[in-house]
Amino acid sequence: MRPATVSRLALAVASLLCALLAFHAPAAQAASFTKISGAGSTWSSNALDQWRRNVASNSGMTVNYAALGSSVGREQFKNGTADFAVSEIPYGLTEAGATDAPPKRGYAYMPIVAGGTAFMYNLKIGGKKVTNLRLSGEVVTKIFTGKITMWNHPEIRADNPGLNLPAARVIPVVRSDGSGTTAQLTTWMSKQHPALWNDYCGRAGRSTPCGMTSYFPVVPGSSHIAKSGSLGVSGFTKQGHAEGAITYVEYSYAITTGFPVAKMLNASGYYVEPTASSVAVALLKARINEDKNSPNYLTQILDNVYRSADRRTYTLSSYSYMIIPTKAEQPFTTAKGKTLGTFANYFLCDGQQQAEELGYSPLPRNLVQAGFAQVRKIPGAPAGSTDIAKCRNPTFSADGSNTLANNAPYPKACDKRGPTQCADGTAGAKEKTPVKPGATGGGSGGGTGGASTGGGSGGGSAGTGGGAATGGAASGGDTAGTAGTEGSTAGAAAGGAIDPDTGELISDGGTGGDTSVVGNPVTLAAGESGGLRGVLMALSAVLLLGVVVGPPLTARALAARNRRKEGF
Amino acid sequence: MPRRLYADPGLPDRVFRGVARGGGGLVLAVMLLVGGFLLYRAWQALSRAGWSFLTTEAWEPDAGRFGIAAVLVGTVLIALVAIVVAVPLAVGGALYISEYAPPRLRQTLIGVVDLMAAVPSVVYGLWGLFFFEGQILPTARWIATYLSWIPIFEVAGADPNDPLAPETVYTSSTLIAGVVVALMVAPIACSVMREVFSQAPVGEREGAFALGATRWGMISSVVLPFGKGGMIGGTMLGLGRALGETIGVYLIISPVFEIQWHVLQSGSSSVAALIALRYGEASEFGMSALMAAGFALFLMTLVVNFAASSIVARSRSGAASE
Repeated sequence: MRPATVSRLALAVASLLCALLAFHAPAAQAASFTKISGAGSTWSSNALDQWRRNVASNSGMTVNYAALGSSVGREQFKNGTADFAVSEIPYGLTEAGATDAPPKRGYAYMPIVAGGTAFMYNLKIGGKKVTNLRLSGEVVTKIFTGKITMWNHPEIRADNPGLNLPAARVIPVVRSDGSGTTAQLTTWMSKQHPALWNDYCGRAGRSTPCGMTSYFPVVPGSSHIAKSGSLGVSGFTKQGHAEGAITYVEYSYAITTGFPVAKMLNASGYYVEPTASSVAVALLKARINEDKNSPNYLTQILDNVYRSADRRTYTLSSYSYMIIPTKAEQPFTTAKGKTLGTFANYFLCDGQQQAEELGYSPLPRNLVQAGFAQVRKIPGAPAGSTDIAKCRNPTFSADGSNTLANNAPYPKACDKRGPTQCADGTAGAKEKTPVKPGATGGGSGGGTGGASTGGGSGGGSAGTGGGAATGGAASGGDTAGTAGTEGSTAGAAAGGAIDPDTGELISDGGTGGDTSVVGNPVTLAAGESGGLRGVLMALSAVLLLGVVVGPPLTARALAARNRRKEGF
Repeated sequence: MPRRLYADPGLPDRVFRGVARGGGGLVLAVMLLVGGFLLYRAWQALSRAGWSFLTTEAWEPDAGRFGIAAVLVGTVLIALVAIVVAVPLAVGGALYISEYAPPRLRQTLIGVVDLMAAVPSVVYGLWGLFFFEGQILPTARWIATYLSWIPIFEVAGADPNDPLAPETVYTSSTLIAGVVVALMVAPIACSVMREVFSQAPVGEREGAFALGATRWGMISSVVLPFGKGGMIGGTMLGLGRALGETIGVYLIISPVFEIQWHVLQSGSSSVAALIALRYGEASEFGMSALMAAGFALFLMTLVVNFAASSIVARSRSGAASE
């Protein structure tokens, strides 16, 4: 082939390719969206993942999201490796003397969903899962600052009059990575319980006052366990061997894990679960930065949420934010802006409808409106406004008030701080936890209490001492424990001192009766069985030695005898 | 004056020598570049921290408090636990495969061990996190109950006299991470050792048998002395991998930034896991600090490997059974 022919051929091929590309490019772009990738919060990732799946199946849009923690998200957005970030806290906050500098690229905040930072726990009494634990803010702070180390601490018992809490260690499970969830918790602790929090920070070697931190400081030698990511901490807490663990995650993680969350005491004296409606009620008090020229436009100040006097309030409620680019700078392009804008319009509008079933709370009308305005700042975002009235958002109403908050149910009387405690389960564990007969708050619980108290008398005498780890009545505790649990089945046996009028117990001992949950947490002492165990261990060691050493020795002895025989 | 001897090596020889030399030099150059790059990126942090980098236990680079005392000790402890568990396994496995196993089983076993070496470490990590941790806790508890008078087996907050005490104090410990790493390390060490054992000269083996040695007598007098270099080499190769193991350790440990000698107690740390945990969210200076930690790990593995190669060189591997 002559060179001229070759070059002519090449030219022809190239022009054909160009023509094909030119012909196809616009058509392809019209039909599909450019892929975008974001990173950040694990707090809100359950909602984002659902929305991503929806847009992928509805319009073939690919939105990648790496739930690596809010700190990673903000850093990647700053470096330009992520098209968008999701974070609970904004840029510019100071932690341990270092300020998280805002990115040089144009950015804005956009609320995406609301939710409650919940305290998920793994606690069993007599082998049965507790699902109705209640905690006050101070107790939570003391747990995470290492001041309360046992589940039967008087302050936890005071919050839970209906539970016989075991003498088990509290294992606070915290995040080891930089996290917005940690920031939410530490902001709340530093505002509401500054003395406890600063004292703890000081013990952990931080300079005080500590304020908000994205990394949970862990005091060396404490029983804190640190794991990475919301999945890491909830995955640790749910394991069978993590009994006594308590961690902080978004409510949705407790639902997907099938575990209960603690009801938190609010300012008006009620213990409340972080359901969609209690979060919506709480966030009515959130102060939103409404200065459109501020770089922190739309960010939240939650001080009034913590103190909200509405008795339906869940105190640790907050919004999660997406950090969106406002300029088409590398790596962001208008094509990506179109994807991000369409995605944002979807989840601000129809996506909110799913928030509740996922374990979040939908955004109220004013924030959805502001969110749409922020979306228009994304270069390449679809022009024209979305008709907000058509969004099927459960918070919307004709008059502009928050329907979800208006219709939020009031907490039951048994959830009020005092001698009663509800038996209802929470979050992912809806099964009831029977409470002490005295704490049922009359009515519903009365029957069960009366029927089964009998067996408790046996468990009583030794069982009450069970709280202290090594009771003098070690062997007694053993049998009493059995009696206590069996008592639930054989509850008809008369016994225990029951007040004839109310059906309630008079003597302390009777508390061993109701069911295994109310059965006193008896702690066995190993003292007596230790001797038997030692003998068994020694025996097995001797057996092992015999198996290893025996055959060669026997063989050698036999061989020697054979030799002697032959010798004669 | 004696005549200088000169032999023309010829073109093919010269080309081969050049290629071999170039390859060797390239390996060295790559290693130096890696070290140089780490040092260059680490310089900002190192120059600010100075010698305190070696003695500080905390890791808060942005606040100016950071050092590798705790993480380096954690790394070494995890690697030591791994080696203590892996080496007997590897030696036993290698001896069984090369000396005792029937020939048909031998091929299968070789395949299985090589397959184990090829399993990605994240798989071991997940297995360790979701299955193994729960299974090993009673053992950890047993050790803590009966051997806690040995300082490294002490567990703060554990009450051996309380049978209902939760086992959470034993989770996420150096021991668990070490055992999981041991399972990654053992197959590699095992293949190296098996290879060396199977090269023990047949003449000497048969000589030992001819002199009336039992099979174990033959192994202890021929195979093991011959394979000493291989055993050390395999162990050191394993140690190198154990020091640098990242994801398996990352998944299991609960990072603490203090020197934590108690191998059974929850909380541990390792340089590689620290880097994996923090690199994503590190600021520029934090990244430099992580690079400095990486540089320290790099130097430590170099020292370990040089020590290993000098031991191997001195033990005259392969000729030790004269």
